[in-house]
This record gives sequence, C-alpha cells and structure tokens, in this order.
Amino acid sequence: MKKIILASIFTLLTACAGHQRESNQLANLLHQQPPTQVLAQLQSTEPPERDYAQFHLNVGLLQLLSSDFPAAIASLTQAKKEMAALEAISITENAAAGTVNETLRSYSGYPTDRVMVHNILALSYLFNDDIDGARVEMLQADVSMKKLYSKGSYNGQLASTHLLSGIIYEMLDEQSNALISYKHSEEIIQKRKLSVPVSLQQALLRLSYRVDRNGQYVSYKQRYSGYPTPVSNNASQVFSLYFDSVVSNKIEKSILVPSGNGEQLIRISMPAYPNPKYRMARAKVTDASNQVSTELIENLEVAVREDLSKEYPSILLLTTTRAIAKYELVAQANEQDSLLGALVNLATALSEIADLRSWNMLPATIQFAYLETTDNEVTVDRVSAAQEKIALNIGSTNLLLISSLQTPVFHYQQ
Amino acid sequence: MKIKQHFLLVAFTTLFMTACSTSVERLDSQETVDLSGAWNDTDSQLVAREMIEDSLSRAWISNFVKAEGKDPAVIVGKVRNLSHEHINTNTFIADMERELINSGEVQFVAASGARDEIRAERGDQDLNASEDTRKEMGQEYGADYMMQGQINTIIDVDGTTQVRFYQVNLELISIKDNRKVWVGQKKIKKLIKNSKLRE
Repeated sequence: MKKIILASIFTLLTACAGHQRESNQLANLLHQQPPTQVLAQLQSTEPPERDYAQFHLNVGLLQLLSSDFPAAIASLTQAKKEMAALEAISITENAAAGTVNETLRSYSGYPTDRVMVHNILALSYLFNDDIDGARVEMLQADVSMKKLYSKGSYNGQLASTHLLSGIIYEMLDEQSNALISYKHSEEIIQKRKLSVPVSLQQALLRLSYRVDRNGQYVSYKQRYSGYPTPVSNNASQVFSLYFDSVVSNKIEKSILVPSGNGEQLIRISMPAYPNPKYRMARAKVTDASNQVSTELIENLEVAVREDLSKEYPSILLLTTTRAIAKYELVAQANEQDSLLGALVNLATALSEIADLRSWNMLPATIQFAYLETTDNEVTVDRVSAAQEKIALNIGSTNLLLISSLQTPVFHYQQ
Repeated sequence: MKIKQHFLLVAFTTLFMTACSTSVERLDSQETVDLSGAWNDTDSQLVAREMIEDSLSRAWISNFVKAEGKDPAVIVGKVRNLSHEHINTNTFIADMERELINSGEVQFVAASGARDEIRAERGDQDLNASEDTRKEMGQEYGADYMMQGQINTIIDVDGTTQVRFYQVNLELISIKDNRKVWVGQKKIKKLIKNSKLRE
C-alpha cells in the first residue's frame, strides 16, 4: 500500500514538473525555430487539465504567429473562458497546494495574461478581417483592466492594450474613443516613468486636433512641440507593432536544510525570474523618404516580474504552511515506523516543486511606430529576417504586426 | 468483506462514469435559460419582437399606406455590434425579419447577400430555363425603407458582481429621401453575480 501511494506521488510529480520543463524548453526554442514548428511540438504534448489555460494561451499565440487566425481565435477564446472560470477560489485545489505543492492549483493566469489575451485576440480578429470582433476584444480588455485596477499598482494595466484600442478606434473613425485610449496609454507610460514614444505623441496631437482643435490640441501642442499641424490628407496610415524576443521563463530557487533536531530534511522551493538578459532590438519601417523606428510601449519583462512580486506574499505564506504540514506528516510517520518516516520525508521533499507556469511565449517587449506615406509600398527591416516589402493602397489605413521570430510581417489593410 | 469491497468498487465506478458522461436535455426554444449572463437567444427574440411590434404600431406605416395605397416594403440592413460581447447579429437580424414578415403589415425584401444569389439564379435561368418558366431580370421589388441599428453595452464591474446594460437602437430610414421615419430603443439590464468559490 505504502509503495502504491509513493509510486502515485512520484508519477504525479514527474508529470507536473515534466510539463513545466517542456513548456519552458519550447518557449526557449522560439529563438531558433519558427513558431509553426514550435506549435506542432507544443500541440503534441498532453498537459494536465489544470494547465489548460496556459496551454491554450501559448497555442493561441503561436497560431497567430503561424497565420492560422481562426484557430488562434478559438484557442485564445478557450483560454479566456478557462481563466474566467478559474477566477473563483477552489477549496480542494488550495488544500492540495497547501499540502503538496502549488502546481496542483489550476493555472488561472496572471494579471498580464488576463489583459494580453485580449490584445492577441484583437490582433487575430483583425488579421482574420473582422475589425468589429477586434473592437469587442478591446472593450473586454478595458473591463478586465478595470477589474484588476488597484490604487498605486500597475498590475494588469497595459499601455499596449490602450494603444491597440486607440488604433482600432481610429481605424473605425471613432475619434473621441481613440483619443481617450491614446491618453490612457500615455498616462500609464508616464506613471511608469518611461518616455512617451514619438508615434504616441503624434497620435495624441492628430486626434486632439480632429476632436478638440481649440482645447486639448493646444495643450498637447505645448507638451509635444516640433511636429507639423496634423491636417487631413490622402496619405496612407501605417501603424506598426513590433513583438521583440520572448519573455523570460521562471526558474526554481530551492534550499534543502535539515530540521532543528536533525531528523528530517526540509525543502523549500520558490519561483523566481532570473536577472533579465534581454537586449532590446527595434524594427524599422521605411518609405521612399522617411524611416521610423519602433519604440517601447510595453515591457513585458517588467510586467511579469511585477505579477510574480504581487503573488510573493501568498506564495511565501503557503510555502511556510506546507513546510509545517509536511514536517508534522513526517514526524507522525516516523513515530509509526522509521523506514516509513524516511520514505515520507523523501516524498515530501521531492514533492516541493515551485510553480513555474506562466504565459512564457509572450514577447519580451511590445514596440510601436507610426508612418504616414503617399507611397504605395513600405519596407520593414528587423534584425532577425530579410527586408520585407509591404504593398499599400493609396489612402489606406494599415496595421503591421512585426515579430523578431521567424514569421512574415502580418498586414491588415482597409 | 469481499462482497462489500466489490459493491464499493461497482458503486464508485458507476458514480465516476455518471460524473464523466455528457448529459443532453432538449429544451423548448422559447424557454429562458441564462447561463453566463451574456446576450443570448432569449434577448435576441425578445428585443426583436418588442421593437418590431413598436415600429409597426407607429404612424409611419399608416401614413405610407395612405399616401402610396400599398404596404411599405422593408429591408433589414446592418445591425452593428458595438457591445462588449461577440454577438452574432445575424440571428438577431433573422429574428427581426421573421417578426416583420409574420406581421403581414409590410412587404419584405431579401437582403443584399440573398439578392446576389437570386440574381445569379435568374442569370442561369436566362440561359438554361424554358421560356414559360424563365424569370426575367429587372422585375425586382424595390424596398421603401431600410432598418439599421446597433447593439451597445455599458458594463459596470465590482469584483465578482457585474451590471450589464444593453441598449439596442434601431432606425427605419426612407430609401427614397433618407428620412428617419421611426427610431426605436430597447434596454435590458442584467445583474450578474459570479461565485467566489468553485469545486
């Protein structure tokens, strides 16, 4: 009986740790292999049910980057539903997390995931030629951000989401909504003490000129000087979003110490992010006479670390509670039989696994550039791929999604 | 002891199988079932019926009959989804079309997508159908009015509680001169409370 219990625990633990490791390895593979190949490998894995949300988030993102937009919409919608259903607290899962380890809790998504899922879905709808669907996602993102808002915290407040909302509203000629979204984006960037990208400054000037020429435009003009008056012309608008690199994976930090009386080994494992090694690269969009470089709008390397920091007090509390519960369990087993005690001690020590799950295939940063052109073509340059030419209809509105991974440039035009 | 063990095994297996099996129950299509609180078939049917009833009870219809001596021909155009949900507006449009046709008070003209298919069929008949069964081009019934609209939402969230406010605006516009002859509005408010705990 003891053997069966121990064997079951070992099997369970191998499965938990195995899938986390596999998911992180696949995320790292994105630096070398195209998303289509990584997607095929990810889809061949069989994640435990409690990791479905993480699995669908990664699958959906890779499907978008593999140009399979309807499948991306289906996977990400599934992930969104799973995360929404998991918002409520599970007593059984918490009990398991408090006695065995945190990976027995279903992955319900961090604040960044809950908002980013709308960004990725909106892009999927857009490239699937459904701008109204993209608009719905941006409205939902706004609700998600309001739910996550707490004073003095930026958790789940994404400048890139407001920016994308602004772009979509501008494409739909909803100028007041676009201006409000650009303002929210600027506000978050300023609160994070980052410099406001030139393209966002131009967006604020452009929209305030159209909506409130004698009021807000005048104050923006004072704040962001040196730009020409944004008069209407027949130029094409090119909004470019650049997804650079892949966000860091979590790592496990563990210590194994003997108990005070020397009778037990106590293991403590906590998730952590490594020191960031990321170096930002930029994409460039060029027409016959102008070149614009993408600028930082969202640093997801920072956002995911903030998400984990916010969770740390509860992770620490649960880890301590678990250590005490495991200590008591081993002590009781020891009283019955010293061999059983040793086996239980081994099982409790090995079962102490940090929860390394995250949406680990997100880009490290999201960058933005804007270009107005009368040419019928622009070229896109990025470090990882050859120059790509994008054809434009005269007077059209365009969104380009450029990735540092091995993908084509995605182009929505209207 | 063995019998008891077997009984427990059978009971447990039965319970397990029951818990895992899919259950399907046929429901009346008029029955109201709210699962998530999102826009559903009941909202679509209710709004379509009430708004069409309202539109048909207004003065524009009698004014038209008096002036033209015939029932007005109506077409349903685009209903834009400006809400927070991915609403299939086609089912809502279909509900409105049904209510309009079944009222018997207006003529109803097929929407542009359907017209294209019918025109293709007429084109085909022109080549392939016999003289006495062939339908000629240029005999279409032109609509007098187009119904257009939008579905909007306002969502107020606090923790696990949400208030969803839906506002459906519909307008009937004269195709001849762009006059708006009827503007209708229907509001639905839902309070949704999600559980803080799950299994």
